[in-house]
Amino acid sequence: MTAEKKLLIALAGQPNVGKSTVFNILTGLSQHVGNWPGKTVEKKEGFYSSDGKGIRIVDLPGSYSLTAYSEEEKITRDFIINERPDAIILIANASSVERSLYILAEFLLLQVPVIFALNMMDVAEQQGIRIDAGLLEKYLGVPVVPMIASKNRGIKELIMRIFSLAEGREDYMPSMADVAEDHRDIFIELADILKMYVTPPYLTKWAITKIMEGDPDITEKMSQSVPADAWAKVQAILRQHEDSLHAVVRGRYDWIEGAVRSAISEFKRGQILLTDRLDNVLTRPVFGIPILLGILAFVFSLTYGLGLPLQGWLESLIKSFASIIEPRLGHSFWLRGIIIDGLIGGAGTVLTFLPVLFFFFAAMAFLEDVGYMARAAFVMDRFMHFIGLHGKSFLPFCLGFGCNVPAVMGARILESGRIRFLTIFLTPFVPCTAKLAVVTLIAAAIFGSKALVISWALIACNILVIGLIGMIASKLLFQQLHMPFIMELPVYHKPNVRTIGIVVWKRLTAFVRKAGTIIVLFSVLLWLLSHIPGGDIDNSILGLIGRSFEPFGAPIGLDWKMIVALLASVAARENSIAALGVLYGVGEEGIRDVLPNVMNHASALSFLVILMLFVPCVATLVVMKQEIGNWRWFLSSFLFMLLLSYASGVAAYQFALRIGL
Amino acid sequence: MTDDITPLISLREGEEGIIQLVSGGAGLIGRLASLGITSGVKVRIVRNIGGPLLVTTNGTRIAIGRGQAQKIGVRRLTAESKQAESA
Repeated sequence: MTAEKKLLIALAGQPNVGKSTVFNILTGLSQHVGNWPGKTVEKKEGFYSSDGKGIRIVDLPGSYSLTAYSEEEKITRDFIINERPDAIILIANASSVERSLYILAEFLLLQVPVIFALNMMDVAEQQGIRIDAGLLEKYLGVPVVPMIASKNRGIKELIMRIFSLAEGREDYMPSMADVAEDHRDIFIELADILKMYVTPPYLTKWAITKIMEGDPDITEKMSQSVPADAWAKVQAILRQHEDSLHAVVRGRYDWIEGAVRSAISEFKRGQILLTDRLDNVLTRPVFGIPILLGILAFVFSLTYGLGLPLQGWLESLIKSFASIIEPRLGHSFWLRGIIIDGLIGGAGTVLTFLPVLFFFFAAMAFLEDVGYMARAAFVMDRFMHFIGLHGKSFLPFCLGFGCNVPAVMGARILESGRIRFLTIFLTPFVPCTAKLAVVTLIAAAIFGSKALVISWALIACNILVIGLIGMIASKLLFQQLHMPFIMELPVYHKPNVRTIGIVVWKRLTAFVRKAGTIIVLFSVLLWLLSHIPGGDIDNSILGLIGRSFEPFGAPIGLDWKMIVALLASVAARENSIAALGVLYGVGEEGIRDVLPNVMNHASALSFLVILMLFVPCVATLVVMKQEIGNWRWFLSSFLFMLLLSYASGVAAYQFALRIGL
Repeated sequence: MTDDITPLISLREGEEGIIQLVSGGAGLIGRLASLGITSGVKVRIVRNIGGPLLVTTNGTRIAIGRGQAQKIGVRRLTAESKQAESA
């Protein structure tokens, strides 16, 4: 480490500008991913070094502006205000510069040096947009670096400019956007009253602009530090000029127009772009929805087609591994049980799910990266509205079919807290790969030729239940019909292998780190509970618990062993199969032959219905608690799942008996 | 040529309009402005059949919920007004 102080650089930009690509190139594997303190927003940090000079790079959450209305935007602006980085790299999409200039105007008010990185120059060129970076630099007075990050172009120049800016070798004279002309007097009037009360780290011009925008955070802060009579004057001025926010916005757009006029020419406007052509089909519900269903069906068949053989292969690999280990463990019954059935069994479960999840996440990340998922969200929005959500919740739900853990975490993309909660609340009802594996196995063992129909009916009912609960919950909890839905549909582009790879890696490691460790721990715990004290499950603690629940079993047609299997599914869905194997003393392979003798059709149906709607696995529960952040909401959601699954079990059992299934 | 302001939602697919005003809370106005939806901007409706609207402006595509589209007032661009504008 050199004695020189490391530069602190913040990477900022709106969504869909290629910010993560730039971050990945700059930091490579030195990335550290965590959370912003006390927030559920991801914080990414990394290092770049060359010639003994180091840069610490903090990736700020993607945001469209710097208001206080979303967590991401608040984090971004608080970071800049409080940490005062040496420079901000603002990544812009060259094919829609106006928008990035809007957030640039906001950044400049914060008076931290900004480098304007014009990414995706090739896309702009294809769309007939020509930007003269030199002229733009002259107009803005800040360094402008044209880039094509996906092809690694412009990165060197960017780094050069970072150092020259931080070392004071640039003429840094930013031009700033003012409020619209007809409101300048009001701005000055407000500044005269307030400037003596604006204290560091806040800057006068920024604070006044925010007050004119009606920013709730700053308004609240100022109202406390400004004497009452002065504040009353400010309020009076703002009331008189209710259009202050519009004046700020207009001022920014005047400034943007100047930049566009000076440096940007479009020579092929009106050319039908690939995006327009694709959108013409994909956003039209008549075509868009069948295509979406087709794509999803393809994704699932690909996932299982490629994943299941690998899964089987891994299973046999783990079995042979266990059989190699077993003789070396000596004669201790407990040691063997804990290691073979607990540790290796649990780790094996985690491992065997990796292939299926890998293919599924890769397919989803591909669809996200090329820009398709935004269209899926668009066409699904109308349906999601019925359940009080909007289109953006569609992606977390889709991920849920793979594994609920990354799905719950994926709900972070939703800005509104209420929609985020409702999405997290509903996600555990989405049948994940593990749940589907258990359902298909039991259905096949018991219903024989009708298994496929039963499995599909269960999945269909499950999705219907999600719809129903969503409808009721949104009516009861929120009583607000229109959730604001504003979303950019990015331009379609070629998939970037690196970006997809990193997304898949992040989701898989989330599964292994969060779900994996908990599944292994619970497998060991479950084994202990089912063998302590005597070594056999009938008289074990778990058996005792199961028996004490037996009275609840009658209305749902389940004996205590099946109740134990349900409880075991909380460790991980597939543990219910393992538990049944142990309970009937036949092991996992024998269970297929034994099940038809111990479960009649009605009981099996009730068991499957409960399993589909039951409390999710511990891993999901942990992530749910973490993302909801509030015990009361979390516990109500937990209780709700418990009651709902029980009631549905009763209904399914009675129904099956009635029709004589 | 007409100067009537109509809500964005009343424009049909393929029609264009100039945004005249955006009403609603500061959060909504700021959010739309940062996406380029603000007064004086020309928008074209790509999709408006139930569900959210899809509009293009300045080469970007923005989906806007029906509730929000109700709060955006536009002046419809007709064939004549377009000619007048380019003249």
